[in-house]
Amino acid sequence: MLKVKQAFAALAVSGAVFFGYVAAGETAPAQGVQQSGQKATQFQLSNGMKVVVIEDHRAPVVTHMLWFGVGGTDDPPGLSGAAHLFEHLMFKGTKTVPPGELSKTVARNGGQDNAFTSHDYTAYFQRIAKDRLPLMMELEADRMVNLDLSEANVLTERDVVLEERRLRVESDPQSLANEQMEAALHLSHPYGRPVIGWMAEISTMNRAQAIDFYKSHYAPNNATLIVAGDVTPEEVRRLAQEKYGVVERRTLAPRPDVPMVPRLSESRLEFAIPGTNLPQLFRYYRAPSYAKGPKGTAEALDMLAAILGGGQTSRLYQSLVVDKKLASSAGAFYSGYNRGTGQFGVYATPRDGVSFDTLETAMDQIVRSMTAAPPEAGEFERAKTRLVAEYTYQQDNQFQLANDYGQALSIGLTIADVEDWPNRIRAVQPADVRRVAQTHLVKEESVTGRMQPRP
Amino acid sequence: MKLRPALLALLIGVSIPATADAITVKAVQSPSGVETWLSEEHSIPMIAVNIAFPAGSAYDPSDKPGLATLVSSLLDEGAGDMPSEAFKQALESRAIRLGASADRDYITVTMTTLKDNADEAFRLLGLVLTRPRFDSEAVERMRVAILASLKQEDEQPSTVASKSWFATYFGTHPYARSDSGTPSGVQAITIDDIKTFAADHIVRDRVKMSVAGDIDDAQLRRYLQQLFVSLPTKTVAVVPRPADAGRPASNVIPRNEPAPVAMFGFAGPMRLDADFMPTFVANYILGGGGFSSRLMDELRDKRGLTYGISTYLADYKSSSLIVGSVQSEKGKILTAIDVTKSELARFARDGATAKELADAKTYLTGSYPLGLDSNAKIARTMNAYQRQGLTPDYVEKRNALIEGVTLAQVNAMAKKWYDPSKLVIVIAGTPDAAAASATGKQGNTAK
Repeated sequence: MLKVKQAFAALAVSGAVFFGYVAAGETAPAQGVQQSGQKATQFQLSNGMKVVVIEDHRAPVVTHMLWFGVGGTDDPPGLSGAAHLFEHLMFKGTKTVPPGELSKTVARNGGQDNAFTSHDYTAYFQRIAKDRLPLMMELEADRMVNLDLSEANVLTERDVVLEERRLRVESDPQSLANEQMEAALHLSHPYGRPVIGWMAEISTMNRAQAIDFYKSHYAPNNATLIVAGDVTPEEVRRLAQEKYGVVERRTLAPRPDVPMVPRLSESRLEFAIPGTNLPQLFRYYRAPSYAKGPKGTAEALDMLAAILGGGQTSRLYQSLVVDKKLASSAGAFYSGYNRGTGQFGVYATPRDGVSFDTLETAMDQIVRSMTAAPPEAGEFERAKTRLVAEYTYQQDNQFQLANDYGQALSIGLTIADVEDWPNRIRAVQPADVRRVAQTHLVKEESVTGRMQPRP
Repeated sequence: MKLRPALLALLIGVSIPATADAITVKAVQSPSGVETWLSEEHSIPMIAVNIAFPAGSAYDPSDKPGLATLVSSLLDEGAGDMPSEAFKQALESRAIRLGASADRDYITVTMTTLKDNADEAFRLLGLVLTRPRFDSEAVERMRVAILASLKQEDEQPSTVASKSWFATYFGTHPYARSDSGTPSGVQAITIDDIKTFAADHIVRDRVKMSVAGDIDDAQLRRYLQQLFVSLPTKTVAVVPRPADAGRPASNVIPRNEPAPVAMFGFAGPMRLDADFMPTFVANYILGGGGFSSRLMDELRDKRGLTYGISTYLADYKSSSLIVGSVQSEKGKILTAIDVTKSELARFARDGATAKELADAKTYLTGSYPLGLDSNAKIARTMNAYQRQGLTPDYVEKRNALIEGVTLAQVNAMAKKWYDPSKLVIVIAGTPDAAAASATGKQGNTAK
């Protein structure tokens, strides 16, 4: 499974995607770093593996996730998609567990498992009854060091990934356009390469390259374990020490922190991809991330996205869809949970008979309105209320909760960053929103894409 | 099922996952007689609500497919004295999430609120049900949005295959129509059509409501009064069962697709029939079990023919199906279908093994709590059970029903339902037949 960044997918979560967790009545753990008011507990094993425990005692289940500090940015030159294809290969057997048997074992124990890859990280997870946690740890610890790949298995799985690319990208004009726009936006930075990889490059990966990738990136000292669910920090610590603590640390190549490439001009792309029925207008901007931006910047960008284009009361929707009737839909999104730069986007779908020029002019006018003056009190407070409430709603989904902490730690944030998020949203001022709009919604940092219908 | 299963598993050395301390579901007496189920969970200050009305696309007029979907899209577009924008602002200022969608049988309204805002949330929900506005501004805006999404749906081979499959399988029955409608149908709908549909279907008959979260019986009963008491008591006719659906067919929709999508399926047992549970277990073994299913093994793991293949039971109020889909490169899609057919034939002929059944049972019973670990999932699942005609204690009985399925039953169901000669198959995308014969040879030798 691959997480594909997509305008509409990003939009559906209305800006921020990670939130902390506050529950009543948990007891302070005997060990581990948990400051007062924190829900999650963090500690480290002697082999360098980080561990985070999030208690959720509503149901007798756990979410067990193992995150590695490796992703699409670590694909060797000319071998885009290597991290993602390698994620698939992690299911192809070890010295003691035959190919495919890990998932079957999880299922036989009443659990569900899968994995996903982004530019910044790769994560493997199981959701299962809490008494099966030791077994899950054994299986993950085993494939962290004992993977045993055959040439035939690598080639068959490569075919599976090529089918995955056909399904997710080649069959979907919007995915194809998105991929080209991100390539244009990030220029030669690895964020410009699709995580799933280009067809021609995926096709060349072989067993030797896979094993090299494994040895370069997979070790406990490059991993973060997240356990959320009906467990205590003490029992997770004991189990993690027993199952993972025995895996030896290894010296890995240091992970490059690839600098941003300067952009001196906007880019414009005109698409006429066969199979496109619906014309669409997209604009992406590079923008600071939670990991890289100055404190408060990403929070203000989340607020900016909510006010500019988060739902039907937003400026873009009210102006382009309701008042001017130029578009059938319109909105904005911000993806800030990256190790490198973040991404801000606006989009609109022209109504029949409306030209791209007319629509883009109107869209630009609304985007500029965010730089001309601070937001008004009503829209500002509604956006804040909505974002802060997400923090509570997010507690309802254990997998999401585990995911939020894992993602944050994988891009260099701390559990305090996760749990303090609603307070930092509350601290955003109207002037901050205007300032980030002025600073970051600039042409030089943007790519505009127009998708023309083509049968 | 409270045998301390973890300990038991250790003793006898086999995998029997812990069963959930089942959530408690109770029926709440409603002054309006509306069937309401409640699952209380007080650790997070939020409430999730699902309400289903018998108002699905099966009730669309034959010349106006898309009416139910348009009505559902308008339910959060203004109510009472508040036009769309004012109503949306009222929701947002309290972070209340409210929406509605239509499927073939029902319109489902969902609402999520923080506990502190529950009074206002249920007041707004009551306005949606009893005083929706259907302003012409909102109607035209939603009509345009639906027409745009219909265009986009036709970009995807998976939706094209699915729409055509239902049309082929159901013929003249109302389930043949896509619940998202057609461009000409959506164009033809008038405001009168919308108001009549709402008046006939947003009524007290057969409404199912489920609530999960930080709320108790007494508080909920206060809200029920304002939600339903003023709704009309009209009855809504049940959609007739299809008379001659499911004639075997194999169609190709010619399109230039790099990877065509095939949808395939046939009739399945009705939800409340005795055949349903054993067939549900059988289906897990064949195609429902994700990475563990036979079809996934044969097509993905052994042959690299696809990223994924699955089959599932689709139960409607008046019909039931076993359907699946697979996507593969145009030179391989015919091979993928051939392998699928031969696996169906083998399953019908030889059935499952005792080990496969045991594995299916440990997964299906052990994973059951994973689907009930959040208020949103509990509300959604309870609402589905209500629509299926089950009782509130089903949550407690369900795992025992799975455990009770025998190998003889599974094999009888495999034989009865999984007959490849009965398949209705629709492929969206033109297969490359020449490449298929070459790949077929390769596929046979691959391990």
